[in-house]
Amino acid sequence: MAELFSLAITAILINNIILTKFFGMCPFLGVSKKTSSAVGMGVAVIFVIMGASIITYFLYHLVLVPLEITYMQLITFILVIASFVQFTEMFIKKFSPALYKSLGIYLPLITTNCAVLYVAQDNITQSYNFIEMLVNSFSVPFGFLMILYIFSCIRERLDLATTPNAWKGNPIALVTAALMALAFSGFAGLV
Amino acid sequence: MLNAILMMTVVAALMGLILGIAGKVFYVQPDEREEAVTAMLPGYNCGGCGFPGCSGLAAALVNKELDTVICKPCKADMKAKIVEYLANTPGPDGTTIKVKA
Repeated sequence: MAELFSLAITAILINNIILTKFFGMCPFLGVSKKTSSAVGMGVAVIFVIMGASIITYFLYHLVLVPLEITYMQLITFILVIASFVQFTEMFIKKFSPALYKSLGIYLPLITTNCAVLYVAQDNITQSYNFIEMLVNSFSVPFGFLMILYIFSCIRERLDLATTPNAWKGNPIALVTAALMALAFSGFAGLV
Repeated sequence: MLNAILMMTVVAALMGLILGIAGKVFYVQPDEREEAVTAMLPGYNCGGCGFPGCSGLAAALVNKELDTVICKPCKADMKAKIVEYLANTPGPDGTTIKVKA
């Protein structure tokens, strides 16, 4: 239990997917202008990473390993992730047209969100068992959601602040992201 | 090698099947008026209205984001046709849209 907890803390805070590993920068900068769409994106990513990780985990251990074709790992994982994102897109389009509209192009782009492939690969290379895999594939996107939410709150405030013209929009957002990464480096060595 | 090919085929077929079923289950009825209004616009995709192409303007009109047909190359009679069409054709929710020419 304690091990699982430290695994979760490591994934959420210490090895945060965005601020330490620098994965998933595209939605991090793209959909962080509004808190509501940031949370929507975070939840969609949690759903995709959880689903894709579980499928790829079983695919790897029940199909690829017995058939001795583990070199096909990358291409099968990409296939699974792409299908899963497509499924998520249909689901959101049906049940939340407003969220579908606010996520826009970034929803199909979850396919190319390297965070998804990273978690699927990480579960295999770290040779996690099933429970550890579940904890890891929930904690990593949860860290993503948390950072996306904090960052979108800061950006909403930044819109109201007096920023020099040359710094408005993305430049000041990138500076903020750098400061956040600096702050999060303080978690190194916590566990 | 053969194993790999077979495995990819099976996995791809399974994913395709799931997506096909999901496509049927999660089918969203598209608003037919968007296409009809796009067909009534000139189709130059000049961007003079500020939307990405004629279909963008049609979508904005049907989604009630605009209350005026702001198409620049449109002649008055073409605009009147669009106004009349939108005022007389109910959407999937049964309401019609009032726009100005």
